[in-house]
Amino acid sequence: MPKFKIHHVTRYNYETPVRDSANQILLFPIQDDFQQVLKQDLHITGEPMVDIYKDFYGNEVGSFMNAEPHLELVIDSKLEVITRGNHEPADDQPAEIQWAELHKIRSQFPYIDFLKQEQFSSLGEVTRIIGEMDLRSLTPYQTGKKLNDYIFTHFQYIKGITSVETTLEEVWNLKAGVCQDFAHLLLVMLRKIEIPARYVSGYVCPNKSGMRGEGATHAWVEAYIPFYGWLGFDPTNNCNVNGMHVRLAVGRSFSNCSPVKGTYKGTSSHTLEVGVSVSYEDGRTSEEPSAVLAAQPKNANGEQENSYRRYMEMIQQQQ
Amino acid sequence: MLSRVADSLYWMSRYLERTDGILRMLKMNYASSQDDLGEFSWKPVLQIFTYMNEGEANAIAFQSRAVLQYMVTERENPNSVFNIVTHARENARSIQDHITKEMWQCLNDYYHAVRNEHLLIRLEREDPISVLDVLIKHGLLYYGTTDITMARGESYVFLTMGKFLERALQSADILDVKFSDVNFDFSKTDTTYWKYLLLSISGYELYLKTYRSGFEPRKVVEQIVLNDNFPRSVKYSINRLHGYFERIRNQGNTKANEKMQFMIGRLRSHINYSTVEMIEEEGLHLYLLRVKKELRDIANALNQYYFAYS
Amino acid sequence: MQTSELLNNYHVDSHTWDEMYLNESVREQYRGVVEFMQRLSIEELNKKEELAKGLFMSQGVTFTVYSSGEGIEKIFPFDIIPRIITATEWKFIEEGIKQRLKALNLFLKDVYNEQFIIQDGIVPAEMIYSCPHYLREMYRFPVPYDIYVHIAGIDLIRNYDGSFYILEDNLRTPSGVSYMLENREITKRLFPDLLPKNNVRAVTEYPNILHRNLVSLSPRRISKPTIVVLSPGIYNSAYFEHTTLARLMGVELVEGRDLVVDNHKVYMKTTAGLHQVDVIYRRVDDEFLDPLMFNGSSMLGVSGIMNAYRKGNVAIVNAIGNGVADDKAIYTYVPQMIRYYLNEEPILKNVPTFQLGHDEQREEVFANMHKMVIKKTNESGGYGMLMGHVASEREMELYKEQILINPRQFIAQPIISLSSSPCYMNGKLVPRRVDLRPYALCGPEGIEIVPGGLTRVALKEGSLVVNSSQGGGSKDTWVLAI
Repeated sequence: MPKFKIHHVTRYNYETPVRDSANQILLFPIQDDFQQVLKQDLHITGEPMVDIYKDFYGNEVGSFMNAEPHLELVIDSKLEVITRGNHEPADDQPAEIQWAELHKIRSQFPYIDFLKQEQFSSLGEVTRIIGEMDLRSLTPYQTGKKLNDYIFTHFQYIKGITSVETTLEEVWNLKAGVCQDFAHLLLVMLRKIEIPARYVSGYVCPNKSGMRGEGATHAWVEAYIPFYGWLGFDPTNNCNVNGMHVRLAVGRSFSNCSPVKGTYKGTSSHTLEVGVSVSYEDGRTSEEPSAVLAAQPKNANGEQENSYRRYMEMIQQQQ
Repeated sequence: MLSRVADSLYWMSRYLERTDGILRMLKMNYASSQDDLGEFSWKPVLQIFTYMNEGEANAIAFQSRAVLQYMVTERENPNSVFNIVTHARENARSIQDHITKEMWQCLNDYYHAVRNEHLLIRLEREDPISVLDVLIKHGLLYYGTTDITMARGESYVFLTMGKFLERALQSADILDVKFSDVNFDFSKTDTTYWKYLLLSISGYELYLKTYRSGFEPRKVVEQIVLNDNFPRSVKYSINRLHGYFERIRNQGNTKANEKMQFMIGRLRSHINYSTVEMIEEEGLHLYLLRVKKELRDIANALNQYYFAYS
Repeated sequence: MQTSELLNNYHVDSHTWDEMYLNESVREQYRGVVEFMQRLSIEELNKKEELAKGLFMSQGVTFTVYSSGEGIEKIFPFDIIPRIITATEWKFIEEGIKQRLKALNLFLKDVYNEQFIIQDGIVPAEMIYSCPHYLREMYRFPVPYDIYVHIAGIDLIRNYDGSFYILEDNLRTPSGVSYMLENREITKRLFPDLLPKNNVRAVTEYPNILHRNLVSLSPRRISKPTIVVLSPGIYNSAYFEHTTLARLMGVELVEGRDLVVDNHKVYMKTTAGLHQVDVIYRRVDDEFLDPLMFNGSSMLGVSGIMNAYRKGNVAIVNAIGNGVADDKAIYTYVPQMIRYYLNEEPILKNVPTFQLGHDEQREEVFANMHKMVIKKTNESGGYGMLMGHVASEREMELYKEQILINPRQFIAQPIISLSSSPCYMNGKLVPRRVDLRPYALCGPEGIEIVPGGLTRVALKEGSLVVNSSQGGGSKDTWVLAI
């Protein structure tokens, strides 16, 4: 049962005072058999009242506001969390029985929502590629692993090449992106073959293993495996999720899971920096958030957003 | 009251006051042009009431009908009566529940009148004064209706503050431009010139009754800046502005109130303790510049403290 | 002599129910109006029509149409002849709508909480989850008094035999009620003394009932809660209605930019600082209401308002997410809902509806397209509709292609002829097709329906489309007391 101390800092700076800010955070780890929060210490500029409720997907969502003029918003979350790996699926039922089970539950809650496909132009090409893989002869678990590998192999991991506004179509054509894009692509492929799949946002704690995604929030996918349950696949690292990931939120896509988002009013543009550091039981600590605070890619229409009286979205991208 | 509503009331009122000023001034200048043996120049009018540059103003300065068309119906002129009345009505439209139904109907009728397609043709072909009179009457109807139907609450205060602020600015502007036309020469005694200046701001008759000595620039300045009884004088307008502000002074928003009270009070004292001699000594242009600057500061402060909703 | 002149052009279609004529004679409820009109000369009648137009214009009862960058104000065409509903007919309509609303409200509560109706297989889960208006944000959301629909506009039509059918339920931000009120005011001027003589029930109570209901929703138990009407602003085509309602209730009309959420409470920005708001009657659509939660680029909404709503610090009317209940595909299930939740037989009938997402039903519709009207499930206002009896082969083929892309988004109904009602045109009465939208108000005390409504009329001869965007007009609607 590994134990991690995670320090996650999100900082917005504004050139001139802004006001009427309203924000939503999904920074409260899921608590279940595989994950337990020992301690969480959350500090927000101005110490506003944070209201917490459970959303449709079971995530804890916090909200807070600041109507007064301000120049900075810092959300500082310190966590102590224990994770426990799950055994691998036994995968001992014949493939056709497993596929039949998936077919049976396809219009049931909650699976129905995790099968809904986002449309984009190249979806036909995705369908063709999946068709060529002859996945129906494999079990859903083997399929998951194979598609996970496909994404990892066929897409390049390049930080900063995409932003939160990059569309699926663009990512598909770029053949590159960050964890958020990898996760979205895997969702598309799994859903295409009728495996319910959900987006997961959280942290990866690889210690010395050299996995991608340290220093920022991470994203991966959970697929529903018949007679087993939800199983995590991390296409950015081409692995199953097993005790080294900390889950913050699940949803249909990034838009349900954005760790921090908010709006404000003002003429000013903003800069957003995010940093995540992890301390391990062996005493190793990844760099402090202040050292890894990284400026986030601007949205494509960043310029236009600065106009007066315009609401602005401030969403951080997951890497 | 909602900040946005106060803002709209204030601007609706300013726009209507501006329209009234423009129309009266057009009417009298047109009449004046009929008396002028030489060529009558509309340049000062264009300078006060439009954003035209010198060249553009020169180009139509001697064409009465073209100027009237530009000032009244031109859609491209942001300060045309057409556009100002439209703005006034747009403001009114968003605050219909804060003005009376009668006022709204007045504005609506006014709006439909300036949009009437025959207006332009009539301005071109008929007696312009009758056309302008029709429009002026729409404005008068609005003033009367407001006076009779509008409750004397906060809405009325913002409405009236807008009116007097605009009026003070206009009177100061007109005086400034008209005098700059004669290089602030207080010895110019061309009767017709001063007569039409006074006529254009409806101060001619009062002048005759007050000053029996004929037309004298100093007296003209005195009436337009300092006359207590002339409803378009700078002094009268600022005293009114002050009086109405006092009515909302005691509601919340303390910091804003103090700041506003200081600004309005200072300007008021400055005007109340001025004489024509002092103005002449300081220089009319400088004096007016200062008054205009302080009026604009007051407008900005209103905007910042009372109307900042977005 | 006058009689024949006024009525000699009145030819009722034999397969249509006419509101005024029965077997070549005027129905009793219309006699008062017809007699009154017969006493007037054509000049006088035309003068009345002019008067009506003038009144609408000077009162600004207009909607704005934008073309070539300039807003043009138009009046919603008004026909001076009232549409008359007898006391018996009204009693039936009233009971039917109350029953329907009760069921729809229970349905909303159910789909956003336990989902019994899905578990029991009455409404398939796909139907709900594929509906774009099923808002997951509303799942297990505490809605005050479990009332989702506070204001409903239910559209009714009459088939050739005179029986009433529900055409559509409007449970989000139904509009048009100001026309119900204004049309009555105009009628008072046009036909002096005719209303009391004909025992016409008043509609003036509407704003009072609405206001009372809004006050009763205030989360703060204070003597004078702050109620506001939230409008998208003057460029909205229903802006006139928003101001009318605010004025008649004596409440503030606000726009999104007037409001701010702080510490999970909603405030309006006033000249004297922030002032807390208790109840919001919003005329801004769900997706624009909270940029933080829904459409981030919305400039009409208020960021964080959903959080204030969730905390119970503000009441929002209508509730959010009601679109799942007035979706045109869900519509098919309303009779079953009535049986399921209320254990009653539906009083008002549904128009038979084909789900185009259903393969067999789609085949049947494609085979009989010329007898069908096909609609998009998430559009209203007569947009995106195909009237099979007037569509060309090519239009039908193009429409089929559209349907096949996303069949769930379409439904089809047999063309119902719609009853006709007399309209005054060029000195004569002519029959034109009408529908009826009564307005129901639901408060903690129950459901009330003001006796009246908006009668929309297709002014083009033979047309069955009454929407204002498609050349429709309106009439005053009289409900008789006896």
